[in-house]
Amino acid sequence: MTDESFLEVTDVSKWYGDEQVLHDVSFEMDRGDVTVLIGPSGSGKSTMLRCVNRLAEAQEGSIRLDGEDVLAPSTDVDDLRREVGMVFQGFNLFAHLSAVGNVALGPQRVLGLSKAEARDRATDQLERVGLGNQLDSYPAELSGGQQQRVGTARALAMEPKLMLFDEPTSALDPELIGEVLEVMHDLVEAGMTMLVVTHEMSFARAVADEIVFLDAGRVVERGPPEQLFENPEKERTDRFLDRIASHD
Amino acid sequence: MAGATQPAAIRRRAAESDLSVGRVLLVTAGALFWGWLVASWLNRWLGGVVVPVGEPFVRPATVETALATLPGLAAYAEPIGFAVGISPEIARGAWLTIVITTVSLFIGFFIAVPLAVTRVYGRYSAYLSLGYTELLRGTPLLAQLFVLHFGLNLGAYVPGALSGVFPRNVVWVAILGFTLNGAAYQAEYIRGALESVEEGQITAGRAIGLSRVETIYYVVLPQGLRYAIPSWTNEFIYLIKYSSLAAFITVPELYYRADQIAASTFRYTLIFAVTGLAYLALVLTASKLMEAVEARVAIPGLGADRGR
Repeated sequence: MTDESFLEVTDVSKWYGDEQVLHDVSFEMDRGDVTVLIGPSGSGKSTMLRCVNRLAEAQEGSIRLDGEDVLAPSTDVDDLRREVGMVFQGFNLFAHLSAVGNVALGPQRVLGLSKAEARDRATDQLERVGLGNQLDSYPAELSGGQQQRVGTARALAMEPKLMLFDEPTSALDPELIGEVLEVMHDLVEAGMTMLVVTHEMSFARAVADEIVFLDAGRVVERGPPEQLFENPEKERTDRFLDRIASHD
Repeated sequence: MAGATQPAAIRRRAAESDLSVGRVLLVTAGALFWGWLVASWLNRWLGGVVVPVGEPFVRPATVETALATLPGLAAYAEPIGFAVGISPEIARGAWLTIVITTVSLFIGFFIAVPLAVTRVYGRYSAYLSLGYTELLRGTPLLAQLFVLHFGLNLGAYVPGALSGVFPRNVVWVAILGFTLNGAAYQAEYIRGALESVEEGQITAGRAIGLSRVETIYYVVLPQGLRYAIPSWTNEFIYLIKYSSLAAFITVPELYYRADQIAASTFRYTLIFAVTGLAYLALVLTASKLMEAVEARVAIPGLGADRGR
Protein backbone atom coordinates (compact mmCIF):
# COMPACT_ATOMS: atom_id res chain seq x y z
CA MET A 1 0.00 0.00 0.00
CA THR A 2 1.54 3.30 -1.03
CA ASP A 3 -0.90 5.76 0.53
CA GLU A 4 -0.84 4.11 3.92
CA SER A 5 -1.87 6.26 6.87
CA PHE A 6 0.54 7.00 9.72
CA LEU A 7 -1.49 4.92 12.16
CA GLU A 8 -3.86 2.29 10.85
CA VAL A 9 -5.99 0.32 13.26
CA THR A 10 -7.91 -2.38 11.43
CA ASP A 11 -10.52 -4.73 12.89
CA VAL A 12 -8.89 -4.95 16.28
CA SER A 13 -10.55 -7.35 18.70
CA LYS A 14 -9.60 -8.23 22.23
CA TRP A 15 -10.95 -10.49 24.94
CA TYR A 16 -10.42 -10.58 28.67
CA GLY A 17 -11.19 -14.22 29.34
CA ASP A 18 -14.60 -14.86 27.77
CA GLU A 19 -15.56 -11.22 27.65
CA GLN A 20 -14.91 -9.44 24.39
CA VAL A 21 -13.85 -5.88 25.15
CA LEU A 22 -13.00 -4.73 21.61
CA HIS A 23 -15.04 -5.68 18.53
CA ASP A 24 -13.37 -5.07 15.16
CA VAL A 25 -12.27 -1.55 15.98
CA SER A 26 -10.92 0.37 13.00
CA PHE A 27 -9.70 3.92 12.50
CA GLU A 28 -6.69 5.64 11.03
CA MET A 29 -4.85 8.88 11.43
CA ASP A 30 -2.20 10.84 9.54
CA ARG A 31 0.95 12.38 10.88
CA GLY A 32 0.11 15.53 12.84
CA ASP A 33 -3.49 14.46 13.37
CA VAL A 34 -5.29 14.56 16.69
CA THR A 35 -7.79 11.78 17.19
CA VAL A 36 -9.96 11.68 20.29
CA LEU A 37 -11.58 8.49 21.54
CA ILE A 38 -14.76 9.13 23.48
CA GLY A 39 -17.35 6.87 25.01
CA PRO A 40 -18.85 5.74 28.30
CA SER A 41 -16.61 4.11 30.89
CA GLY A 42 -16.00 0.47 30.12
CA SER A 43 -16.39 1.10 26.40
CA GLY A 44 -12.83 -0.04 25.68
CA LYS A 45 -11.25 3.36 24.93
CA SER A 46 -8.29 2.90 27.26
CA THR A 47 -7.81 -0.71 26.21
CA MET A 48 -7.73 0.39 22.56
CA LEU A 49 -5.16 3.06 23.40
CA ARG A 50 -2.99 0.52 25.23
CA CYS A 51 -3.10 -1.87 22.30
CA VAL A 52 -1.23 0.74 20.27
CA ASN A 53 1.89 0.57 22.47
CA ARG A 54 1.16 -3.01 23.43
CA LEU A 55 0.61 -2.44 27.12
CA ALA A 56 -2.45 -4.50 26.19
CA GLU A 57 -2.30 -7.20 23.53
CA ALA A 58 -4.84 -7.13 20.72
CA GLN A 59 -5.77 -10.70 19.81
CA GLU A 60 -7.15 -10.06 16.34
CA GLY A 61 -6.82 -7.43 13.66
CA SER A 62 -3.87 -5.31 12.74
CA ILE A 63 -2.22 -2.11 13.91
CA ARG A 64 0.32 -0.45 11.66
CA LEU A 65 2.34 2.53 12.83
CA ASP A 66 4.46 4.41 10.30
CA GLY A 67 4.48 1.37 8.03
CA GLU A 68 5.47 -1.09 10.74
CA ASP A 69 3.36 -3.97 11.94
CA VAL A 70 2.88 -3.25 15.65
CA LEU A 71 1.39 -6.65 16.46
CA ALA A 72 3.98 -8.76 14.63
CA PRO A 73 5.73 -11.24 16.93
CA SER A 74 9.06 -9.90 15.64
CA THR A 75 8.29 -6.35 16.79
CA ASP A 76 10.39 -5.36 19.78
CA VAL A 77 7.92 -3.79 22.22
CA ASP A 78 10.66 -1.74 23.88
CA ASP A 79 11.65 -0.25 20.51
CA LEU A 80 8.00 0.46 19.79
CA ARG A 81 7.47 2.17 23.12
CA ARG A 82 10.44 4.48 22.83
CA GLU A 83 8.68 5.95 19.80
CA VAL A 84 5.22 6.14 21.37
CA GLY A 85 4.84 8.36 24.42
CA MET A 86 2.12 7.74 26.96
CA VAL A 87 0.47 9.88 29.60
CA PHE A 88 -1.58 8.11 32.27
CA GLN A 89 -4.73 8.97 34.12
CA GLY A 90 -2.99 8.31 37.46
CA PHE A 91 0.22 10.16 36.42
CA ASN A 92 2.38 7.18 37.46
CA LEU A 93 5.41 9.35 38.13
CA PHE A 94 8.38 7.47 39.52
CA ALA A 95 7.88 8.20 43.21
CA HIS A 96 11.56 8.10 44.16
CA LEU A 97 12.77 10.50 41.50
CA SER A 98 12.57 14.29 41.30
CA ALA A 99 10.76 15.91 38.39
CA VAL A 100 13.97 16.12 36.41
CA GLY A 101 14.90 12.55 37.40
CA ASN A 102 11.55 11.31 36.12
CA VAL A 103 12.00 12.96 32.76
CA ALA A 104 15.71 12.12 32.40
CA LEU A 105 15.38 8.39 33.17
CA GLY A 106 14.18 7.37 29.70
CA PRO A 107 16.69 9.47 27.72
CA GLN A 108 19.54 8.21 29.91
CA ARG A 109 18.65 4.53 30.25
CA VAL A 110 16.71 3.87 27.06
CA LEU A 111 18.23 6.31 24.56
CA GLY A 112 21.71 6.10 26.08
CA LEU A 113 22.31 9.82 26.57
CA SER A 114 24.92 10.83 29.11
CA LYS A 115 23.68 11.92 32.51
CA ALA A 116 24.30 15.58 31.72
CA GLU A 117 22.66 15.39 28.28
CA ALA A 118 19.65 13.61 29.73
CA ARG A 119 19.36 16.23 32.45
CA ASP A 120 19.55 19.05 29.91
CA ARG A 121 16.89 17.45 27.81
CA ALA A 122 14.70 16.90 30.87
CA THR A 123 15.14 20.52 31.90
CA ASP A 124 14.10 21.69 28.43
CA GLN A 125 10.99 19.53 28.47
CA LEU A 126 10.00 20.62 31.96
CA GLU A 127 10.42 24.26 30.93
CA ARG A 128 8.24 23.51 27.94
CA VAL A 129 5.40 22.39 30.25
CA GLY A 130 5.95 25.38 32.54
CA LEU A 131 7.76 23.58 35.36
CA GLY A 132 11.22 25.08 35.02
CA ASN A 133 10.98 26.18 38.64
CA GLN A 134 10.10 22.71 39.99
CA LEU A 135 12.97 20.68 38.55
CA ASP A 136 14.06 19.19 41.86
CA SER A 137 10.63 18.70 43.42
CA TYR A 138 9.47 15.17 44.09
CA PRO A 139 6.10 13.85 42.88
CA ALA A 140 4.64 13.86 46.40
CA GLU A 141 5.49 17.55 46.64
CA LEU A 142 3.67 18.48 43.44
CA SER A 143 -0.01 19.12 42.78
CA GLY A 144 -1.91 16.76 40.48
CA GLY A 145 -1.75 19.22 37.61
CA GLN A 146 1.99 19.64 38.04
CA GLN A 147 2.47 15.87 38.25
CA GLN A 148 0.56 15.37 35.03
CA ARG A 149 2.69 18.00 33.30
CA VAL A 150 5.82 16.15 34.49
CA GLY A 151 4.23 12.97 33.11
CA THR A 152 3.78 14.69 29.76
CA ALA A 153 7.34 16.01 29.78
CA ARG A 154 8.58 12.50 30.59
CA ALA A 155 6.88 11.14 27.49
CA LEU A 156 8.01 14.07 25.31
CA ALA A 157 11.65 13.67 26.35
CA MET A 158 11.76 10.44 24.36
CA GLU A 159 10.92 12.51 21.24
CA PRO A 160 8.04 10.22 20.31
CA LYS A 161 6.35 10.22 16.94
CA LEU A 162 2.99 9.51 18.53
CA MET A 163 1.62 10.55 21.92
CA LEU A 164 -1.06 8.56 23.72
CA PHE A 165 -3.11 10.31 26.40
CA ASP A 166 -5.18 8.04 28.63
CA GLU A 167 -7.74 10.26 30.37
CA PRO A 168 -5.02 12.73 31.38
CA THR A 169 -7.35 15.02 33.32
CA SER A 170 -9.79 12.54 34.86
CA ALA A 171 -7.95 12.27 38.18
CA LEU A 172 -7.53 16.02 38.58
CA ASP A 173 -9.39 18.55 40.66
CA PRO A 174 -11.43 20.77 38.33
CA GLU A 175 -9.25 23.83 38.89
CA LEU A 176 -6.13 21.90 37.83
CA ILE A 177 -7.51 20.57 34.55
CA GLY A 178 -6.85 23.80 32.66
CA GLU A 179 -3.07 23.76 33.06
CA VAL A 180 -2.84 20.23 31.64
CA LEU A 181 -5.15 21.00 28.72
CA GLU A 182 -3.06 24.07 28.00
CA VAL A 183 0.06 21.93 27.66
CA MET A 184 -1.84 19.58 25.35
CA HIS A 185 -3.01 22.53 23.27
CA ASP A 186 0.59 23.65 22.87
CA LEU A 187 1.50 20.18 21.66
CA VAL A 188 -1.28 20.20 19.09
CA GLU A 189 -0.01 23.53 17.83
CA ALA A 190 3.51 22.14 17.62
CA GLY A 191 2.15 19.50 15.25
CA MET A 192 2.38 16.46 17.52
CA THR A 193 0.42 13.39 16.45
CA MET A 194 -1.88 12.61 19.36
CA LEU A 195 -4.35 9.87 20.21
CA VAL A 196 -6.37 11.00 23.20
CA VAL A 197 -8.92 9.34 25.46
CA THR A 198 -10.80 12.04 27.32
CA HIS A 199 -14.12 13.22 28.67
CA GLU A 200 -13.18 16.86 28.02
CA MET A 201 -15.58 17.48 25.17
CA SER A 202 -14.73 21.13 24.68
CA PHE A 203 -11.08 20.16 24.28
CA ALA A 204 -12.03 17.42 21.84
CA ARG A 205 -14.17 19.77 19.84
CA ALA A 206 -11.46 22.41 19.72
CA VAL A 207 -8.46 20.34 18.67
CA ALA A 208 -9.56 16.99 17.24
CA ASP A 209 -9.31 16.18 13.57
CA GLU A 210 -11.45 13.16 14.16
CA ILE A 211 -13.59 11.86 17.00
CA VAL A 212 -14.10 8.13 17.43
CA PHE A 213 -17.08 7.20 19.56
CA LEU A 214 -16.80 3.77 21.15
CA ASP A 215 -19.49 1.92 23.02
CA ALA A 216 -19.26 -1.61 24.39
CA GLY A 217 -16.03 -2.16 22.48
CA ARG A 218 -17.46 -1.15 19.09
CA VAL A 219 -16.91 1.96 17.00
CA VAL A 220 -20.41 3.40 16.89
CA GLU A 221 -19.53 6.39 14.81
CA ARG A 222 -16.56 8.47 13.81
CA GLY A 223 -16.04 11.74 12.03
CA PRO A 224 -14.84 15.32 12.36
CA PRO A 225 -15.97 17.00 15.60
CA GLU A 226 -18.42 19.40 13.94
CA GLN A 227 -20.27 16.53 12.37
CA LEU A 228 -20.18 14.23 15.37
CA PHE A 229 -21.13 16.84 17.93
CA GLU A 230 -23.66 18.83 15.90
CA ASN A 231 -25.10 16.20 13.71
CA PRO A 232 -24.51 12.66 14.96
CA GLU A 233 -25.80 9.95 12.68
CA LYS A 234 -26.43 7.41 15.39
CA GLU A 235 -28.98 7.77 18.12
CA ARG A 236 -26.56 6.15 20.61
CA THR A 237 -24.01 8.92 20.00
CA ASP A 238 -26.65 11.56 20.50
CA ARG A 239 -27.74 10.10 23.82
CA PHE A 240 -24.15 9.86 25.06
CA LEU A 241 -23.36 13.45 24.09
CA ASP A 242 -26.57 14.67 25.74
CA ARG A 243 -25.67 12.96 28.98
CA ILE A 244 -22.12 14.33 28.93
CA ALA A 245 -23.44 17.81 28.14
CA SER A 246 -25.83 17.78 31.08
CA HIS A 247 -22.85 17.14 33.36
CA ASP A 248 -20.71 19.90 31.87
CA MET B 1 0.86 21.38 49.98
CA ALA B 2 2.25 24.12 52.18
CA GLY B 3 3.65 22.02 55.03
CA ALA B 4 4.71 19.15 52.84
CA THR B 5 6.96 21.23 50.60
CA GLN B 6 9.32 22.26 53.39
CA PRO B 7 12.81 21.29 52.23
CA ALA B 8 14.01 18.11 53.86
CA ALA B 9 17.11 19.83 55.24
CA ILE B 10 15.04 22.20 57.37
CA ARG B 11 12.96 19.36 58.72
CA ARG B 12 16.05 17.35 59.50
CA ARG B 13 17.60 20.23 61.40
CA ALA B 14 14.39 20.67 63.36
CA ALA B 15 14.52 17.01 64.41
CA GLU B 16 18.14 17.26 65.51
CA SER B 17 17.53 20.21 67.77
CA ASP B 18 14.95 18.18 69.68
CA LEU B 19 17.26 17.34 72.57
CA SER B 20 14.98 15.62 75.05
CA VAL B 21 16.36 14.14 78.27
CA GLY B 22 15.79 10.62 76.96
CA ARG B 23 17.74 11.37 73.83
CA VAL B 24 20.66 12.83 75.78
CA LEU B 25 20.76 9.79 78.07
CA LEU B 26 20.61 7.38 75.16
CA VAL B 27 23.34 9.15 73.22
CA THR B 28 25.56 9.35 76.32
CA ALA B 29 25.05 5.66 77.12
CA GLY B 30 25.76 4.77 73.51
CA ALA B 31 28.93 6.85 73.43
CA LEU B 32 30.18 5.24 76.66
CA PHE B 33 29.41 1.72 75.44
CA TRP B 34 31.07 2.15 72.05
CA GLY B 35 33.95 4.10 73.54
CA TRP B 36 34.68 1.27 75.95
CA LEU B 37 34.17 -1.39 73.27
CA VAL B 38 36.49 0.18 70.72
CA ALA B 39 39.10 1.02 73.38
CA SER B 40 39.04 -2.61 74.54
CA TRP B 41 39.57 -3.92 71.03
CA LEU B 42 42.38 -1.49 70.29
CA ASN B 43 44.11 -2.36 73.53
CA ARG B 44 43.97 -6.03 72.62
CA TRP B 45 45.04 -5.66 68.98
CA LEU B 46 47.92 -3.37 69.87
CA GLY B 47 49.21 -5.87 72.41
CA GLY B 48 48.13 -4.17 75.60
CA VAL B 49 49.24 -0.57 75.14
CA VAL B 50 46.96 0.82 77.87
CA VAL B 51 46.49 -2.14 80.20
CA PRO B 52 47.82 -5.70 79.86
CA VAL B 53 45.73 -7.79 77.44
CA GLY B 54 42.77 -9.36 79.24
CA GLU B 55 42.80 -6.82 82.08
CA PRO B 56 39.98 -4.29 82.51
CA PHE B 57 40.78 -0.57 82.16
CA VAL B 58 40.05 -0.08 85.86
CA ARG B 59 41.03 -2.69 88.44
CA PRO B 60 37.94 -4.43 89.88
CA ALA B 61 39.31 -3.97 93.40
CA THR B 62 39.55 -0.20 92.88
CA VAL B 63 35.93 -0.02 91.71
CA GLU B 64 34.82 -2.16 94.60
CA THR B 65 36.59 -0.04 97.20
CA ALA B 66 35.27 3.19 95.70
CA LEU B 67 31.67 1.97 95.57
CA ALA B 68 31.82 0.49 99.08
CA THR B 69 32.26 3.99 100.47
CA LEU B 70 29.00 5.15 98.85
CA PRO B 71 26.08 4.30 101.16
CA GLY B 72 23.48 3.45 98.46
CA LEU B 73 25.83 1.42 96.29
CA ALA B 74 27.79 -0.49 98.92
CA ALA B 75 25.64 -3.62 98.50
CA TYR B 76 26.37 -3.67 94.75
CA ALA B 77 30.07 -2.98 95.02
CA GLU B 78 31.12 -6.61 94.71
CA PRO B 79 28.91 -7.59 91.71
CA ILE B 80 29.85 -4.39 89.85
CA GLY B 81 33.50 -5.10 90.56
CA PHE B 82 33.03 -8.59 89.19
CA ALA B 83 31.34 -7.20 86.08
CA VAL B 84 34.29 -4.88 85.53
CA GLY B 85 36.55 -7.89 85.87
CA ILE B 86 34.84 -9.81 83.05
CA SER B 87 34.44 -6.76 80.78
CA PRO B 88 37.50 -7.53 78.59
CA GLU B 89 36.02 -10.93 77.73
CA ILE B 90 32.64 -9.33 76.95
CA ALA B 91 34.28 -6.82 74.60
CA ARG B 92 36.28 -9.61 72.98
CA GLY B 93 33.15 -11.70 72.37
CA ALA B 94 31.14 -8.70 71.16
CA TRP B 95 33.69 -8.18 68.36
CA LEU B 96 32.88 -11.53 66.78
CA THR B 97 29.16 -11.05 67.37
CA ILE B 98 29.31 -7.77 65.45
CA VAL B 99 31.48 -9.14 62.66
CA ILE B 100 29.38 -12.27 62.17
CA THR B 101 26.15 -10.27 62.19
CA THR B 102 27.19 -7.49 59.84
CA VAL B 103 29.08 -9.69 57.36
CA SER B 104 26.22 -12.23 57.19
CA LEU B 105 23.66 -9.49 56.82
CA PHE B 106 25.65 -7.75 54.10
CA ILE B 107 26.33 -10.84 51.98
CA GLY B 108 22.84 -12.14 52.68
CA PHE B 109 21.36 -8.93 51.27
CA PHE B 110 22.84 -9.62 47.84
CA ILE B 111 21.30 -13.08 47.89
CA ALA B 112 18.00 -11.80 49.25
CA VAL B 113 17.38 -9.18 46.55
CA PRO B 114 17.48 -11.66 43.63
CA LEU B 115 15.44 -14.11 45.72
CA ALA B 116 12.77 -11.48 46.34
CA VAL B 117 12.76 -10.25 42.75
CA THR B 118 12.41 -13.73 41.29
CA ARG B 119 9.77 -14.51 43.89
CA VAL B 120 7.65 -11.54 42.79
CA TYR B 121 8.44 -11.29 39.08
CA GLY B 122 9.82 -14.68 38.10
CA ARG B 123 7.84 -17.51 36.56
CA TYR B 124 9.62 -20.80 37.22
CA SER B 125 12.36 -19.14 39.21
CA ALA B 126 9.67 -18.02 41.67
CA TYR B 127 9.28 -21.65 42.73
CA LEU B 128 13.02 -22.07 43.21
CA SER B 129 13.08 -18.96 45.32
CA LEU B 130 10.04 -20.09 47.29
CA GLY B 131 11.63 -23.50 47.88
CA TYR B 132 14.83 -21.95 49.15
CA THR B 133 13.00 -19.56 51.44
CA GLU B 134 10.69 -22.17 52.92
CA LEU B 135 13.51 -24.68 53.45
CA LEU B 136 15.69 -22.19 55.30
CA ARG B 137 12.89 -20.59 57.27
CA GLY B 138 11.24 -23.89 57.98
CA THR B 139 14.11 -25.72 59.62
CA PRO B 140 15.84 -24.75 62.88
CA LEU B 141 18.80 -22.45 62.43
CA LEU B 142 20.74 -24.45 65.00
CA ALA B 143 20.17 -27.60 62.96
CA GLN B 144 21.44 -25.80 59.87
CA LEU B 145 24.59 -24.77 61.71
CA PHE B 146 25.07 -28.35 62.93
CA VAL B 147 24.75 -29.69 59.40
CA LEU B 148 27.32 -27.21 58.09
CA HIS B 149 29.73 -27.76 60.98
CA PHE B 150 29.36 -31.32 62.27
CA GLY B 151 27.73 -32.85 59.21
CA LEU B 152 29.74 -31.33 56.37
CA ASN B 153 32.70 -30.17 58.49
CA LEU B 154 33.02 -27.11 56.26
CA GLY B 155 35.53 -25.53 58.64
CA ALA B 156 38.12 -27.88 57.17
CA TYR B 157 37.57 -26.51 53.65
CA VAL B 158 37.97 -22.76 54.27
CA PRO B 159 40.05 -21.46 51.34
CA GLY B 160 43.56 -20.21 52.05
CA ALA B 161 42.82 -16.51 51.68
CA LEU B 162 40.06 -16.66 54.29
CA SER B 163 41.72 -19.16 56.57
CA GLY B 164 43.35 -17.55 59.57
CA VAL B 165 41.36 -14.28 59.38
CA PHE B 166 39.55 -15.36 62.53
CA PRO B 167 40.92 -17.23 65.53
CA ARG B 168 38.94 -20.30 64.44
CA ASN B 169 37.83 -21.19 60.91
CA VAL B 170 34.49 -22.25 62.30
CA VAL B 171 33.64 -18.53 62.34
CA TRP B 172 33.37 -18.76 58.55
CA VAL B 173 31.00 -21.68 58.91
CA ALA B 174 28.81 -19.56 61.19
CA ILE B 175 28.91 -16.65 58.72
CA LEU B 176 27.89 -19.01 55.92
CA GLY B 177 25.03 -20.39 58.00
CA PHE B 178 23.71 -16.99 59.03
CA THR B 179 24.12 -15.63 55.50
CA LEU B 180 22.09 -18.45 53.95
CA ASN B 181 19.44 -18.39 56.65
CA GLY B 182 19.26 -14.60 56.98
CA ALA B 183 18.95 -14.23 53.21
CA ALA B 184 15.71 -16.21 53.32
CA TYR B 185 14.26 -13.90 55.95
CA GLN B 186 15.56 -10.75 54.28
CA ALA B 187 14.05 -11.94 51.01
CA GLU B 188 10.64 -12.20 52.65
CA TYR B 189 10.82 -8.65 54.00
CA ILE B 190 11.99 -7.32 50.64
CA ARG B 191 9.35 -9.32 48.78
CA GLY B 192 6.63 -7.70 50.86
CA ALA B 193 8.01 -4.27 50.11
CA LEU B 194 8.34 -4.95 46.37
CA GLU B 195 4.72 -6.04 46.26
CA SER B 196 3.72 -2.72 47.79
CA VAL B 197 5.21 -0.78 44.87
CA GLU B 198 2.27 0.29 42.73
CA GLU B 199 1.62 -1.52 39.46
CA GLY B 200 1.44 1.85 37.68
CA GLN B 201 5.15 2.39 38.36
CA ILE B 202 5.99 -0.68 36.30
CA THR B 203 3.55 0.31 33.56
CA ALA B 204 5.16 3.74 33.37
CA GLY B 205 8.64 2.24 33.21
CA ARG B 206 7.66 -0.14 30.42
CA ALA B 207 5.87 2.68 28.59
CA ILE B 208 9.08 4.73 28.18
CA GLY B 209 10.78 1.67 26.72
CA LEU B 210 12.58 0.21 29.71
CA SER B 211 12.70 -3.58 29.63
CA ARG B 212 11.16 -5.56 32.45
CA VAL B 213 14.50 -6.10 34.15
CA GLU B 214 15.48 -2.44 33.72
CA THR B 215 12.14 -1.35 35.17
CA ILE B 216 12.70 -3.55 38.21
CA TYR B 217 16.24 -2.22 38.62
CA TYR B 218 15.63 1.48 38.04
CA VAL B 219 12.06 1.88 39.27
CA VAL B 220 10.86 -0.91 41.54
CA LEU B 221 13.94 -1.69 43.62
CA PRO B 222 14.82 1.90 44.58
CA GLN B 223 11.33 2.27 45.99
CA GLY B 224 10.83 -1.23 47.35
CA LEU B 225 14.14 -1.29 49.20
CA ARG B 226 13.28 1.99 50.89
CA TYR B 227 9.90 0.63 51.95
CA ALA B 228 11.63 -2.50 53.25
CA ILE B 229 13.87 -0.70 55.73
CA PRO B 230 11.60 -0.77 58.82
CA SER B 231 10.78 -4.47 58.58
CA TRP B 232 14.27 -5.36 57.37
CA THR B 233 15.61 -3.79 60.56
CA ASN B 234 13.86 -6.65 62.37
CA GLU B 235 16.11 -9.12 60.64
CA PHE B 236 19.17 -7.07 61.60
CA ILE B 237 18.07 -7.14 65.24
CA TYR B 238 17.17 -10.82 65.23
CA LEU B 239 20.48 -11.70 63.65
CA ILE B 240 22.43 -9.89 66.39
CA LYS B 241 20.68 -12.11 68.91
CA TYR B 242 20.57 -15.40 67.11
CA SER B 243 24.21 -15.08 66.20
CA SER B 244 24.57 -16.43 69.75
CA LEU B 245 23.69 -19.86 68.34
CA ALA B 246 27.19 -19.85 66.86
CA ALA B 247 28.39 -20.65 70.38
CA PHE B 248 27.03 -24.17 69.87
CA ILE B 249 29.51 -24.76 67.06
CA THR B 250 32.32 -23.32 69.22
CA VAL B 251 32.52 -19.82 67.78
CA PRO B 252 33.92 -17.66 70.59
CA GLU B 253 31.40 -14.82 70.25
CA LEU B 254 29.66 -12.91 73.01
CA TYR B 255 27.39 -15.67 74.31
CA TYR B 256 30.20 -18.23 74.16
CA ARG B 257 32.54 -16.03 76.23
CA ALA B 258 29.80 -15.39 78.80
CA ASP B 259 29.00 -19.08 79.03
CA GLN B 260 32.66 -19.97 79.52
CA ILE B 261 33.05 -17.53 82.42
CA ALA B 262 29.76 -18.65 83.94
CA ALA B 263 30.77 -22.30 83.80
CA SER B 264 33.93 -21.61 85.74
CA THR B 265 32.51 -19.08 88.24
CA PHE B 266 28.87 -20.22 88.55
CA ARG B 267 27.68 -16.60 88.59
CA TYR B 268 25.14 -17.18 85.85
CA THR B 269 22.62 -14.48 86.72
CA LEU B 270 25.14 -11.68 86.96
CA ILE B 271 27.10 -12.73 83.89
CA PHE B 272 24.07 -13.12 81.65
CA ALA B 273 22.58 -9.85 82.93
CA VAL B 274 25.78 -8.06 81.86
CA THR B 275 25.82 -9.99 78.56
CA GLY B 276 22.16 -9.14 78.03
CA LEU B 277 22.96 -5.46 78.49
CA ALA B 278 25.69 -5.73 75.86
CA TYR B 279 23.22 -7.32 73.42
CA LEU B 280 20.70 -4.59 74.24
CA ALA B 281 23.28 -1.91 73.47
CA LEU B 282 24.08 -3.57 70.14
CA VAL B 283 20.41 -3.90 69.23
CA LEU B 284 19.63 -0.28 70.13
CA THR B 285 22.58 0.84 68.06
CA ALA B 286 21.32 -1.17 65.10
CA SER B 287 17.79 0.17 65.33
CA LYS B 288 18.95 3.79 65.74
CA LEU B 289 21.35 3.34 62.86
CA MET B 290 18.60 2.04 60.60
CA GLU B 291 16.27 4.85 61.69
CA ALA B 292 18.95 7.29 60.57
CA VAL B 293 19.36 5.45 57.27
CA GLU B 294 15.61 5.51 56.73
CA ALA B 295 15.43 9.24 57.34
CA ARG B 296 18.46 9.81 55.14
CA VAL B 297 17.02 8.04 52.08
CA ALA B 298 13.41 9.12 52.65
CA ILE B 299 11.66 10.32 49.52
CA PRO B 300 10.71 13.99 50.03
CA GLY B 301 7.01 14.30 50.72
CA LEU B 302 6.56 10.59 51.41
CA GLY B 303 6.60 8.15 54.32
CA ALA B 304 9.22 8.62 57.01
CA ASP B 305 9.98 12.10 55.75
CA ARG B 306 6.46 13.32 56.31
CA GLY B 307 5.93 15.46 59.40
CA ARG B 308 9.24 14.57 61.01
